[in-house]
Amino acid sequence: MKERLQQLQEDSLAALHSAASIKELQTVKVRILGKKGSLTDIMKGMRDLAPDERPVIGSLVNTLKDECEKVFTERLTQLEEDEISVRLVRETIDVTLPGRRTVTGSLHPVTLVTDEIVDIFSRLGFSVEEGPEIEKDFYNFEALNIPRDHPARDMQDTFYINDDLVLRTHTSPVQIRTMLKQPPPVRIIAPGTVYRRDSDLTHSPMFHQIEGFLVDELVTFGDLKGVLTHFLNEYFGADLQVRFRPSFFPFTEPSAEVDIACVICGGKGCRVCGGTGWLEILGCGMIDPAVFDAVNYDTHKYSGFAFGMGLERIAMLKYGVNDLRLFFENDIRFLKQFS
Amino acid sequence: MIVTYNWLKEFVDFDASPEELCHRLTMAGLEVDSLKELGAGFESVIVARLDSVEPHPDADRLTLCEVFTGTETVGVVCGATNHKAGDLVVLAQPGTVLPGNFKIKKSKIRGQVSHGMLCSEKELGIVEESAGIMILPQELPVGQPVFDVMGWRDFQIEIGLTPNRPDCLSVIGVAREVAALYGKELKLPSIELHEVAEQISTCAEVTIKDLQACPRYAARMIRGVKIGPSPDWMVRRLEAVGMRSINNIVDVTNYVMMELGHPLHAFDFRLVEEGRIVVKCAQEGDRFSTLDGQEHQLTAEDLMICDGQKPVALAGVMGGLNSEVQEDTETILLEAAYFNPVSVRRTSKRHSLHTESSHRFERGADVDMVPVALGRAASLMAALGGGEVLNGVLDVYPEPLSKKEIVLQLGSVNKILDLPLDRAAVQKCLESIGLEVAVQDAAEGSFIVSVPSFRPDLERDIDLIEEVARLHGYDKIPVTMPLGVVDAALPPRHQRLQKKLRDMLVATGFSEAINYSFIAQNAVAKIGLPATDPRCTQVPIVNPLSEEQAVMRTTLVPSLLETVAGNLNYRSTDLRLFELRPVFLLDENEEVQERLSLVAVMTGRREPDGWAQSGALMDFYDLKGVVESILTGFGIEEVLFDATRTQPYLHTGKSCALVTESGYLLGSLGEVHPRTLSDYDIDQAVYLLDLDAEQLLQHSAPGLSFKSLSRFPDVSRDTALLLDTDIRAAQVLDILKKIKSKSVEELILFDMYTGAGIPEGKKSLGIRIRYRDMTKTLTEDEVGKAHDRMISTLCEKLAAEIR
Repeated sequence: MKERLQQLQEDSLAALHSAASIKELQTVKVRILGKKGSLTDIMKGMRDLAPDERPVIGSLVNTLKDECEKVFTERLTQLEEDEISVRLVRETIDVTLPGRRTVTGSLHPVTLVTDEIVDIFSRLGFSVEEGPEIEKDFYNFEALNIPRDHPARDMQDTFYINDDLVLRTHTSPVQIRTMLKQPPPVRIIAPGTVYRRDSDLTHSPMFHQIEGFLVDELVTFGDLKGVLTHFLNEYFGADLQVRFRPSFFPFTEPSAEVDIACVICGGKGCRVCGGTGWLEILGCGMIDPAVFDAVNYDTHKYSGFAFGMGLERIAMLKYGVNDLRLFFENDIRFLKQFS
Repeated sequence: MIVTYNWLKEFVDFDASPEELCHRLTMAGLEVDSLKELGAGFESVIVARLDSVEPHPDADRLTLCEVFTGTETVGVVCGATNHKAGDLVVLAQPGTVLPGNFKIKKSKIRGQVSHGMLCSEKELGIVEESAGIMILPQELPVGQPVFDVMGWRDFQIEIGLTPNRPDCLSVIGVAREVAALYGKELKLPSIELHEVAEQISTCAEVTIKDLQACPRYAARMIRGVKIGPSPDWMVRRLEAVGMRSINNIVDVTNYVMMELGHPLHAFDFRLVEEGRIVVKCAQEGDRFSTLDGQEHQLTAEDLMICDGQKPVALAGVMGGLNSEVQEDTETILLEAAYFNPVSVRRTSKRHSLHTESSHRFERGADVDMVPVALGRAASLMAALGGGEVLNGVLDVYPEPLSKKEIVLQLGSVNKILDLPLDRAAVQKCLESIGLEVAVQDAAEGSFIVSVPSFRPDLERDIDLIEEVARLHGYDKIPVTMPLGVVDAALPPRHQRLQKKLRDMLVATGFSEAINYSFIAQNAVAKIGLPATDPRCTQVPIVNPLSEEQAVMRTTLVPSLLETVAGNLNYRSTDLRLFELRPVFLLDENEEVQERLSLVAVMTGRREPDGWAQSGALMDFYDLKGVVESILTGFGIEEVLFDATRTQPYLHTGKSCALVTESGYLLGSLGEVHPRTLSDYDIDQAVYLLDLDAEQLLQHSAPGLSFKSLSRFPDVSRDTALLLDTDIRAAQVLDILKKIKSKSVEELILFDMYTGAGIPEGKKSLGIRIRYRDMTKTLTEDEVGKAHDRMISTLCEKLAAEIR
């Protein structure tokens, strides 16, 4: 009996060890430990043994059973691990293949720039106003201190709808419309489409501007410098150099042009800045008393400033776009660059 | 306005370099557009001496010269005939580039080596015409650059003047600014006038009939002049400031205009009938030919300079062909006048005649400059034309224009500019540009400032404050932030929704386009709109740049279709584009209404091209899905997709109108009509949404509201139904929605099939209904009953069968 057990132990362990798959291992296990398994057979035959042999053989059988189960479990774990490894290898993919993308859209760069600028001014308490693109001569010119027969009208080539209606040449009429309906204090930012009868490499007959103005008691030219310097530093960078120099707009006095150190060459002088190191970025000034008279604001009590800038120009500088025409050609290869 | 560095130096003694000067001018409001050195790169053009001049051995018309350059003697071949041994000449040495990109090289001419070229004034670009090579004065040092020793080296300074500064349309005006900026004196040009005894009043007479349009008219007479070319210095000066030399008399009028800023006109006195000048308005309809040969039909508002019989000049704009100075002119009647700016501007605009003269008068000339400019020009004419100046001036100025006086408070200056200037500083600023300043009240700090006639732009105290600011320097004004209470309200709802609409479109893959608001008048016909369509009533532009940009668009559709076509030309075939911009419509009162409109187009493949994508093309339902997402996003639930209403530019079988529950037409969507596509040369299907964005925003639900979630499991039931093909999906869904069952959570049409296995005239619809109760787990029996009710109602109402 002992010999038989000996033989069974050798055979069983060898069979368990050599099982090549989980299925085979299970089969081996059944063959040894199953209801009709060889070890089960021996256990069933225990009652035929002499009583004194039973504890000895019983102990041997139990040991063998434990050992078989232990080997089985080890082997099962091993085989499971092998199987997962094989599966992982088999399922390996090329992760360098491009991903499955969804279609992405994009905002027009003029919209992007508008939103960014509006955001900056919103945080300074400016709210957005709009006005019509077909505008009355009164709002576009007269009330802005640009009378008929004044040479200042030559500063802006105008598209006419009739004697009294024009395509607005700037967003400044929004100043008049707002001040006529609302008393000071006001802080307004007004983006919009404007039109000038001019078309070449650097001029588009339609383009976009953003107008801003602030009216309150005790507003000074220093405040104008402060707000615009803050804006330019927020938008183009904190260490950007800014300069104000005298200019002329009929609806502001004193008037100024604002230059920033060229964002392309950093002020050293290049083709974009015409070698001067400076880029003209916006026009501004203290609102002319004649404008306040036109909207019935008390010129003794209130003062204010206004500014305006071309959004395509800002976008060109911000994104390095080198051709104005691209903004209105709507080439998808251009538009997608702003997604 | 162009001035030169050296010309300025005649009137102000300053030391600054041209670059530094330009910077100062720019920072004082006279923006320098360009600074150009005259004679730059001409260092290799030198004074040389002709040691010998011999005929060229192999060419009759050429000479072979030995030329001493100061260091060596070289051979130069020359084609001119006006030179001889011993002359000092101008030698352009090899390496020089003359105007017109003419490169001088050492070369062989008919077998003889030429070490450069002997130049004429024309070749140097100094004058427009010249004969022979230039012979220089004997005292010049041989070997030196000729531009230096001749004093031709100068700098052209081009200033982009703003329209408020007519005073700077002259060298003297810019010099006045320079003097103020550098704290120097302004020197006025000296006028040496030798008048003969004879009085001008004995042979000529001036009358002004319209004092409003012409407050002052003055004339001088110069007799016995000989018309000829101007001296080199004058020709060079005029050309340096952008004018062409004509003859000595006309050149003087232009020279004095550039120098002093006052336009002048010279008449041939022979042609001034009756020796009389009458300033009056034209006869309506009269014809008049100006100097440039143009004929104009006059109006009764055109102010004319007339003689005893006829008009001789368009006042302040241009002289007449009938009285211009000619080669044999001997007696000059010289005009200097002051014309009303508005009158000149209107005449100039009316006749599309913009001249140096009208440019100055319409911005405001200096009335006090009239006699000065006359004297300066008369003395120059006498000197250059060899004539004599008659005694006196015919100066008609019956009602002198009053001098402006402005009261200025020191407090206002400092309040606006945020500066602590004292009285003396403000006074000094204002006086430096020629204003007379008197202290009105020392305690209050007020001044009375008297404005000279050359500054018509200074009318109010704010104008003076600006002068103080710019002369003091904008850079010295502090940088502060405004005081005051900030009301940082959210943008209004309309603006926020507009932004949301844009963002939703971008999120669904659309790129924003911006097209011109003006389009061709016939674009509406091109998309098939009948003439009766309100969109065919367009707002035209009176002065468009082209036919293609002639009217304000009433629909964004043509622009977007062109955008698609343009992109297809570059073989960008997968497109999703939208434009959210106003259209311009006329209402019943003929008033323009600007209405926000949205057009979105999609064409090409559904997914980006790639190894893992199907490459399937988009169809109507891709577009409809976008529309449904937008409507959901705006909380607009009940919308009718009405296939019976469509647009002429859409495919009749694949399009519909979008109508709200209350009957508002929100827009249309569908595949673009094949005829329209071919009219735009588009050869692939395009799906287009045209939405009245204004309506969409108005119908938007005010906000989101939460619905409770069920914590119980769901059960789905699928049923395939056989229906007649003409039964629309909306009918099926409407019936199902109307059956009020609180356990129905979701209705899904998961399949639509016709073809093999389905009888002719029928289609199969797969309907999935998902059931879930808020309060309990539904039993099989409950779900079964509910589903049976749904399906049997459908079968009953639509004669459907369960497949």
